[in-house]
Amino acid sequence: MSERCRLSWWRGDGGEGARRNLGLIGVLVVLILIGIATRPDLYGDSGWVWNNILTILKLASVVGVVTVGMTFVIIGGGIDLSVGAIVALAGVWCTTLATQGYGAGGMIFTALVVGLCVGLVNGLLVSYGRLVPFIATLAMMVAARGLAAQISGKQTQVSDNAAINGIASTDLLGIPLLVYILATVVVAGWVLLNRTTFGRRTVAVGGNPEAARLAGIDVRRHTVLLYGLSGLCCGIAAVMLTAQATSAQAEMANLYELDAIAAAIIGGTLLSGGRGTIVGSLLGVVIFSTITNLFAINGLSTEAQNMVKGGIIVAAVLVQQFQFRSLAQFLSRNRLSTG
Amino acid sequence: MTEPADAATGPLAEAPADAADPAHTATGPLVEAPADAVPGEVVLRLTDVVKTFPGVRALDGVQLEVRAGEVHCLLGQNGAGKSTLIKVLAGVHRPDSGQVEWRGQPAEFANPQAAMRAGIATIYQELDLVEDLSVAENAFLGHEPRRAGFVRRGRMASRTREILGRLGHGEIPPGRMVRALPAAGKQIVSMARALSHEARLIIMDEPSAVLAHDEVGNLFRIIRELTAQGIAVIYISHRLEEIREIGDRVTVLKDGRTTAANLPARDTPTRDLVARMTGRTIEYVFPDRPADSGAGAELLRVDGLSRSGEFADVSLSVRAGEIVGIAGLVGSGRSELLETIYGARRAHAGTVRMAGRALRPGSVGAAVRAGMGMAPEERKSQALLLGEPIYRNVTLATFGRYARLGFTDAGRERAEADRIAGSLELRPRDVRRPVRTLSGGNQQKVVVGRWLLGDTRLLLLDEPTRGVDVGARAELYQVIRELAARGVGVLLVSSEVPEVLGLADRVLVLREGRMVREAPADELDENTVLDLVMAGSLMEGAAA
Amino acid sequence: MTQHSRDLSRRRLLFGGAALGAGALLAGCTSNEAAPTAAQTKAAEAAAGGNSAPGKKVTVGFSAPAANHGWIAAITANAKAQAGVYSDVEFTSVEAGADAAAQRAALSTLLAQKPDVIVVLPHDGKELNAFGLEAMKAGVPVVNLDRAFPDARAYRLQIKGDNYGMGVAAATYIAEQLKAKGVSTPIIGEIPGVDSLELTQERSKGFADTLASYGFKVANRRPAAFTADSGQQAATGLLQALPKIDAVWNHDDDQGIGVLAAVNQTGRKEFFMVGGAGSKKAMEDILADKTVLKATVTYSPSMASSAISLARLIGQGRGMSDLVELQVPKEIVLASETITKENASNYLKLGF
Repeated sequence: MSERCRLSWWRGDGGEGARRNLGLIGVLVVLILIGIATRPDLYGDSGWVWNNILTILKLASVVGVVTVGMTFVIIGGGIDLSVGAIVALAGVWCTTLATQGYGAGGMIFTALVVGLCVGLVNGLLVSYGRLVPFIATLAMMVAARGLAAQISGKQTQVSDNAAINGIASTDLLGIPLLVYILATVVVAGWVLLNRTTFGRRTVAVGGNPEAARLAGIDVRRHTVLLYGLSGLCCGIAAVMLTAQATSAQAEMANLYELDAIAAAIIGGTLLSGGRGTIVGSLLGVVIFSTITNLFAINGLSTEAQNMVKGGIIVAAVLVQQFQFRSLAQFLSRNRLSTG
Repeated sequence: MTEPADAATGPLAEAPADAADPAHTATGPLVEAPADAVPGEVVLRLTDVVKTFPGVRALDGVQLEVRAGEVHCLLGQNGAGKSTLIKVLAGVHRPDSGQVEWRGQPAEFANPQAAMRAGIATIYQELDLVEDLSVAENAFLGHEPRRAGFVRRGRMASRTREILGRLGHGEIPPGRMVRALPAAGKQIVSMARALSHEARLIIMDEPSAVLAHDEVGNLFRIIRELTAQGIAVIYISHRLEEIREIGDRVTVLKDGRTTAANLPARDTPTRDLVARMTGRTIEYVFPDRPADSGAGAELLRVDGLSRSGEFADVSLSVRAGEIVGIAGLVGSGRSELLETIYGARRAHAGTVRMAGRALRPGSVGAAVRAGMGMAPEERKSQALLLGEPIYRNVTLATFGRYARLGFTDAGRERAEADRIAGSLELRPRDVRRPVRTLSGGNQQKVVVGRWLLGDTRLLLLDEPTRGVDVGARAELYQVIRELAARGVGVLLVSSEVPEVLGLADRVLVLREGRMVREAPADELDENTVLDLVMAGSLMEGAAA
Repeated sequence: MTQHSRDLSRRRLLFGGAALGAGALLAGCTSNEAAPTAAQTKAAEAAAGGNSAPGKKVTVGFSAPAANHGWIAAITANAKAQAGVYSDVEFTSVEAGADAAAQRAALSTLLAQKPDVIVVLPHDGKELNAFGLEAMKAGVPVVNLDRAFPDARAYRLQIKGDNYGMGVAAATYIAEQLKAKGVSTPIIGEIPGVDSLELTQERSKGFADTLASYGFKVANRRPAAFTADSGQQAATGLLQALPKIDAVWNHDDDQGIGVLAAVNQTGRKEFFMVGGAGSKKAMEDILADKTVLKATVTYSPSMASSAISLARLIGQGRGMSDLVELQVPKEIVLASETITKENASNYLKLGF
C-alpha cells in the first residue's frame, strides 16, 4: 500500500481517479464556503452544522445507492435508464397490502428481489437480446412505471410498518441508519470494483469488450450480472425511499436515472465505459445534494438550482476532457522524443 | 537502395494518356476533365515523406511521382506503408517531414475535405458510404447542389445520373438506397462521388478485392475512361496480373520506403517486382530450429472447418512444441480461420479438437479452458485495455486464478506480471504503467505474455509482429521459439512470408479461403510462397 | 477447469431455485386488496319530486386524464360511482391517454357515439377548448370539470375547484391561529406541488396575498411534485433551512404523507401544518391529532360526482330542484373549505 503512495499520479492504480476526486472535494469545499458566506447565522451554530451534514448525507443516501449500481453499469459499457422506474416498482410492490402482511422482512425481500429480477431482465435484453442498452432500459423504464401504476391502482400506498418506516428515522450513535446503509453500499461497491474479479471483469468488459471476450471472459453473462447489480441497488434504494416517504407510488423516484447518471459522470465515470470510481460517484451525489441544500437554506427557487446543476455537469465533463487531452498530448510528446 | 525517382524511362511513352485529349473525350458537362490537365504532366510528387506513429515509423522516406492520365500502381506487402501513404494523400494524416507537391505547388492537406477540394479523391477498401442515403445523396454528400439553403434534389439526381452514365452504369437509379446495392454498385457510387468533386487524382485501395471476376473487367474499363480524360489514378492491389493489365508505372514500397519507382508495369519481370517487395533491408534474426522439432503429440486437430464467405474446408493440425505458420494475404481468410479455431467466431461446418476433445463451437471460454490462447491481429482494439496498467493486461485472462473467493490478489498479479515482463524483457519494466505508454513491440509482448501465465498449451498468433520494430521482433521470435521448446504448440498467421518461413516448422498457405499448400518450412522458399499467396498468373514466373 | 464448471452449474441451480421461489412469493405479493374507498356519491333520494326521481334515459360520456395521482384517480372513481346510483344514466368512459392530443382523439371517438352529455376533465383547458366548441356545435352539451375552457361557448356547465381560494383559506386559518397565539412575526413555510403548473401558482398567490393582508410573509418555499417522496425531500430541505417554524402550508395531502414523514424523522414539533385537497388520510390524521397536521383546505374530487348528477339533469332538461331556475346554472365554483379537528368527521366521507 505504502509503495503506491510514492508513485507519481499517473502511474498508480487509481491515481488518475484520485486526482480527479480531489477536484470534486474542492468543489464541495467551495459550495460549503458559499453556504457559510450566505448564511453565517445558520453556520454559526455547530449543532446545526452537524445536523446539516447529516441532512445532506441522508438526502444523498437513496440516489447514492442507485448511483453505485449505475456506476458499475456505465463502467461496464452500458447505461441504465430504468433505475427510477425500478425503484418505484420495487417500492410499490413491497408496500402492497399483501406484502405488508409478511412484515418488514417480507417487504425488504420483495423489494430486493423485484429490483434484482427487473435488472436481470434488462441485462438479458442487452446481452442476449442484443438491444442497445439505451433502448432496452428505456423500454424497461416505461414498462416498469406502467406495472407500478397497475399494481398500485395509481394510489399512494402508505406503509404502516413501523420497522420499515423506522429505517428512515433511526439513528445509531447519532448518525442516521440511512447514512450507514449508504456507507455500506459504497464500501461494498468500492471493494467489489477494486478488489474482486467481478470488478476487474467490469472494467475489462467496458474498456474493451472484444479484448475481454478474446481473453476468455464471458462478456454476456457479466453484462447480465451488471444490470442485475444495478437492479439490486434500486431494490435497496426502494426500501430506503419507501421508509423516508412512509409510502410508495408509481411516480416515486422520478428522474433518479438522470441524477444517478449525472453524478457518475461528474464523478469521472467515462460514459463510454472502462473507467470510473465509486468514490467519484459518491462525491457527485453529495455535490448535488449539497447544491439542493444550499438553495434550500437560502430560500432560492429550484429553477435556478437546476440550472446550476446543469452547469456543473457541463463543467465537470469539460474539465475531464481537458485533462484527458493534455495527458494524451503529454504522452505522445514523450513518445516522439524518445522514439 | 532507393531508386531515384527519375529512373522512369519507357513507360511514359506508352501510357494511354497519349490519347487523352480533354476537348473531345469529355462527353458530359459535369465530369469534364480539368481543362488544364496536360497528359503526362506530373500532378503529384512526394519526396522523402516520413510519418511516424508511437513506436512505428510507418513511412520512412517515400518517393512517388504520379502523372496526369496514368494508372500508377503501388505495390508492397502488408505493413509496407501503403495505407499510411494513402491517408497522407487523402489528408487524414500529415507527414512529419518531406515534401508533398500537388500540381507544382507544395501542399499540405489539413483534413480530408481539403484534399477533396484540391481534387484528390480516395476510394477506400471499406467504402465510406452512408448506407441509408440514396445513391445521389452519397455522390454529393457534403457538397449538394443547393439554392437558398435547399438541396436541389432534381439537379442532384440528374447530375448523378449523368455521372453514372459516364461510368457505364446508367442503370443505377440515383434514388436507390445504397444499402440495397451490391458491393460493385457501391464501388461505382464511390467513384461517382469522386467524379462529382471533379477529382484530378483518384486513389483506389484494392478496388478489385470486393468484386467478382467479370466486374473487375468493368472496373478496368472505367479506369481507362478516367485516365483518357487526363485523370490520374493510384491503383493499389496485391494481384500482380491486374497491375500488368491496367497499370502504366509501378512504385514499390517496402518497410515504409520506396524501393523502386516508376517501373514499367507491363515489362518489369515478376521476379524483380517480388524482389523489390521482399528484399530485406534488415535481416531478421530467427532462432535456430531445434533438431527434434514437431516430435510432440498432436494437440490441435481441425477438420473441414468452414465459414461461408471466409474460408472453406480447412483441415490442419498442430503438435505440441511445433510452430505451424499460415501464410496468406489480407482477405485470404487467415484471421477469420484463427478466430474460428479460437471460438470467437462460430464455424458453419467442421470441428476443432484440443488433445482429442471436441471444443464447443463459438465459445472462447471453452477454448481458453482447453488451453488455447490468442494474440489477435489488432492489438489495440482486440487485445488491450489501453488505460489500464500493464500488469492488469498481462493477467487479463488469468486474474481469476490468483483470486481467492472472488477477491483479486493485486500483489501476486503484479509479481507474476513482473516475472513475465522480466522474461520478455519488457521496457519499461514498471508493470503499473498504463499499457498506452508502451511502444507497439512492448504492447505485443504484453499480449503474448498474457498467455505465458496459466497453462496455455496452444498459442494462436495473428500477425504477431505487425507494427513492431526490428529489435523487438527478434525478441518476440525468440520468445515464440522458447515457448515451443517448452512444449507449447504455436499456430502463427503472418502476411510476411519470411517470418512464416523463418519461424515455423511447417507452413500452410491459405489463398482465398482455401488451403493450397502444406509443407515443412525448409522445403519452401520465399518466392514460392509469395507466388502461391498471390494470384495464379504469377505461377509461370515462379520457377520452383 | 472442472472445479469451475461445477461451481457454475451449482450456481445456476441455486439461482434458478431462488428465482422460482421468489417468483411464487412475488406473485402473491402483487395482490392489493385494499378496502375500496367509499365513493363520494350522493344516494338517490326517495323524496318524490326531487332531482333524483328517475327520468328520461341519459347517456353520459366521460373522459379524464390517466391517473397519476390519488386526486385524479378519485375523480374517475367518483364519476363512475355516481353514475351507478342512477338507474337512468348510462355511463361511457374513454381513456384519455397520456396527453392532450391523445385525449382529443379519444373524445372525437366519444362524440361520434352521440352521447347526451359529455363530462370532461381535460389535460389542459386551453388545448381542448376547440373540442368543447365542436361538441357544443354538434348539439352535445359539455360539462367541463376543473380545468376551465377559456371560451364560454365551449361548455354548458363549468364546475371547478378554487385554487386561489385554497391559498386564501389556508392563509386565513394559519394567520388566525398565529394571531390567537400572539405571534407577531411568524416564520411560515410553504411546500407547493409542481411549481410550473398554473394551479400551483394560483394557490401560492392566494396564500401570499392573504398572508400579506395580515402583514405576514412566506419565509421559505420548497416545491415538491405531488408525490410522497418528493414531499419528504422538500420538507427536509425546508426544515433544515428554517431552524424554527411557526406554520407550514403543504399544498397537497398526497405529498403530505412524505412531508409528515420528514417532520417525524426530524422530530420537529414546534409548528403546525395545514394540508391541501382533503385526502382521507389527512382527515384521519387531523382527527387523531397526533401529528403537526391540524387542518386541510379542500379541493374535493367530489366535484366529479356532482358533475355527473348535473350532467344527468342537463341531459334530461331539468333544473336543480332547490333552485328557482328551470335549468342547471352555467358555472359552479366549489368553495375551498377548511377542515379541522372539529368538523373533520363530517368530511371524512368526502376524503379520497
